[in-house]
Formats: sequence, structure tokens, C-alpha cells
Amino acid sequence: MKTFFWKKFTRRRIWIRSLVQIFFFALILLISVNHQLAEDGGGIPFLSSASLHSLCPFGGVVTIYQYAAVGTFVQKIHESAFILMIIGFLLAVLFGPVFCGWVCPFGTFQEWLGKLGKKIFRRRYNRFVPARLDKVLRYARYLVLAWVIYMTAVTGKLIFADYDPYFALFNFWSSELAVGGVVLLAATMLGSLFVERPWCKYACPYGAVLGVSNLFRVFQIRRKEATCKLDGACDITCPMNIPVSTLTVVRDHQCISCLECTSEARCPAAATVDFVAGRS
Amino acid sequence: MRLNSKSLAAIILVILFGGIAFTTAMNWWQTESDKVPAKFSAGEAAGQFNPGDIRGSYTFADIEKNFEVPAVELASAFTIETEDPGSVALKDLETVYASAADAGVEVGTASVRLFVALYTGLPYEIVEETYLPQPAVDLLVARGTLTDEQLSYLQTHSVDLAALKESTNQAPAVTVPASEPVAGSDSERMIKGKTTFQEVLDWGVPKETIETILGMEMPNPLTKVKDFCAEKGLDFETIKPALQAEADKITP
Repeated sequence: MKTFFWKKFTRRRIWIRSLVQIFFFALILLISVNHQLAEDGGGIPFLSSASLHSLCPFGGVVTIYQYAAVGTFVQKIHESAFILMIIGFLLAVLFGPVFCGWVCPFGTFQEWLGKLGKKIFRRRYNRFVPARLDKVLRYARYLVLAWVIYMTAVTGKLIFADYDPYFALFNFWSSELAVGGVVLLAATMLGSLFVERPWCKYACPYGAVLGVSNLFRVFQIRRKEATCKLDGACDITCPMNIPVSTLTVVRDHQCISCLECTSEARCPAAATVDFVAGRS
Repeated sequence: MRLNSKSLAAIILVILFGGIAFTTAMNWWQTESDKVPAKFSAGEAAGQFNPGDIRGSYTFADIEKNFEVPAVELASAFTIETEDPGSVALKDLETVYASAADAGVEVGTASVRLFVALYTGLPYEIVEETYLPQPAVDLLVARGTLTDEQLSYLQTHSVDLAALKESTNQAPAVTVPASEPVAGSDSERMIKGKTTFQEVLDWGVPKETIETILGMEMPNPLTKVKDFCAEKGLDFETIKPALQAEADKITP
């Protein structure tokens, strides 16, 4: 039965999401390279040469305390990060953590590595971590978030930059590359071969912030019990291992609004799992 | 209301780039510091930019824009050979003059502050041993606007780069005043424009000592010392050496 559905739902993909992900990955990569070129006195015309810190919405999150306390930003953080944070919150309130599922280049990078893991392990992929352990580990990212915010508030410095695998990925050529970031990047790359989006699931502090929006967002993923075939296609396909087939409304704090579970993508029953506002 | 993937993609792009476009139009979108120094609020130079507020992130072009010191002359003074002198960042001077730093003589942002002050005739109080490359001294002397006191200072605070380049294994040809020791503070523990009270506390200077120097209660530790001085009307150039002296007393 599952084989049937596996074959069936692999034919339908939300290609527009892949396109958007490729766009943002390429954009950030180009800007990051351009930043280095600009530092060296060159640069690509008509392309931003902003630092990655100034384009990361999480930079806005970690500077909230300092901004409220003394009216300044944490070192290396600028207004742009604060604005992106607000935009990220707006998107999250409306649609959930779409930043994670559609925009974040590091999430995209993990997904691409995950494709290799799927080829190697096939059905076993993304099912390695025991359920009970996995459930506990999913809250670890809130500990990371608390630590990052506390340390940034106490020191006034961008502490997380020294451990950020996303920053390391796009700064391999830079003198700002930190050992901690490289180690976590390597661990994430290795982990992505076994688990889909391991950084997002267990450690990403920005994902932790946006994940809270799943509790109250305007557009939600809803499943109609009346037409559901209970085939488990949505459960199998969810990158975050959410048991969609057991829920009427997905309010799991790990949902990234990728829409892969919906009737537009993997669910074989029409108009059964939808992305809707209200109870329609 | 149902939303499909194409609509969601369009909405994400519109909100994201629309938000950036809107904030850019409102002049809120900033991806770097504005690189405009503070102005003197009193005295003969009131309303003019303060060389003491020049930051390491500035380029020679920023100096030219704010103080009308040509980037070409700055490059010449600091012996930087480049086709684009405006793009030279002050923070890179420490790398260029690394060998001088190894000998305990720092040529960096403070040197540019001093050079700009002497070039423009703007007030600037030297609070630490600051050295200039010999070409910079020659350029200033040639302008003929220095006072005897300034000339005397420069005669004992110049770095002969030619000699330095010829013999990198030898100690740099630095003119150092015989009676004054060369400042050897660890640059990591040097009070600068961006230093916060938290950093001073982290170096081991007690809160009580800081408050004694300030003559008032210390603000939120994340506040920059310089910003606090400006806000409270304190002279940063007086507070800075006092705090630095306390920091230097403590062994890291």
C-alpha cells in the first residue's frame, strides 16, 4: 500500500517552492561573495555587498534586548536585520514559519543533502532517531535560543556568529570563519544524510522563535477527516515527521509550512489536506 | 479561504521584497553604519566633525567626505600603494603595520585621528601614545601649520617605514621619547569608541571603580562608554585614560 502511494506522490512536487529556495540560496551566496569582493576593493555592480549579519532576521531577534535597554544594536547588526525580523514575524503570523520552509538557504542546503540520504537509505531515511528521544530533542532548540539571547544580552556581542553553521557555510572564504561554526556545519551535513533538516529540528534558535507561530497563525494546514483515506502519505512525506494523519489542524511547533503534505502535493485525496484560513 | 503554493510563493516574495523596498524608500534600510562622526557641540570647532570619533570601519573615502582630507594624501601619508585609495579601510592599517605593532608601536585608527586633526587644525587630545609614519609627519610639516608643541611631539612619535621594510627582522626604526614608556596595552583590552561597560567589567574593573571615575552611577552595562559620556556631557577623552589605567592594572 505504501509502495503504491510512494510511487504516486513522488510524481507530484511543489516545484515553485524548490524554485523559490534556489533563488534565495543563489541570492545569499552571491551577496556573500560580493561582500568579500567589496572588502577586497572589487565587487559585482548592482548587487548588494551587505554582510550576512545584516541580512539575517535572527540578528534582529538577538538585538531586541539591547535595543530596548539602551537603544543600540548589537555589534555587526544593523537596521536591515531588524526589518527582516519584523517581516519574518509578519509572514509567520499569517502563514507560519514559511521563512524556514521557503526562504532559509540553510534549510534548503539540508534538504539538498537529504536527497542524497534518501537515495542511500530510502525508506529508512528520516526514521533513525527513536521516537521518544526525538520528541525530547525537538525542544533543544529552545535551550539554544535561551542561551543565545542570554549571552548576547550579557555581552553585547554577536556570540552566535562563532557557532552559526549557516554563517560558516556562506563564509568559507572569509577571515570571519569560526571553528565552532565549521564543526556544527560538518555535523549538520553529516546528520542531513540520516535525518531531514537536523539543524532545523534540534538546534535552530530562529526556527524555535518562528515555530511558536504555529500555535496561532492565520493560515493553517487542515485535514478533512471525512475525505481522508488514512493512507499515511502526509506522515511519510513530512520533512519534520509530523503525524498529519492524526491531526485535524497542524499546530505542531515544528511545522515549516512547506505544503508537501497537502492535497496539492502528496495527499492523494482531493481537497483533503489544505492550507486554509478559518474553518473552510 | 484556501491558498495554493503558487499564491503563497507570490505573497512571500511580495511581502519580503515589498518590505525591503518600502523601508529603503523610507531610508530605514541600513546594512552598515552610516560612517558619519559626531560633531563638536561647543568651543571654536562647534558644528564641525570630531576627528576623535573616527572609527576603524571608515575608509579613506569616508575621511575625505567628512574632513576634506584627500584620500590620495592619506594613502601617501600612510604609504599605502593602491589605485583606489578611497577604498582603504582604517582597520586594515593594523595589518599593514603589523611589524611595527610587534615592536609595541601601533599605527592604526588613532594615528589617522591624529593625522586628520593636525591636517585640519581641529581639536584633538592625545590620550595614548600615538605614532605616525614618517611620510605623514613630512606631509604635515610641509604644510607649515603645526605649532612648536605639535612638531615636538611628532619628532618623537614617528615610524620610519623605509628602515622597517628593509629589515623586517630588526626592530623598527621608531623614534620614541626617552622619558616616556611606549604604551603596550593589549589591543583586546583597549578602550575604544565601541567599548561597552560590560567589556570593562569583563576585564575585571569593579563597578565601583568605574562609578568613581564616572562620578555617577554606571548605566546599563551594554551601553558604550563613549555614548554614555556624550549623553551625560562627560569628556570621553578624560574618562577613557582613567578607565584604561584601571584595566591595565589588572593582569589578564
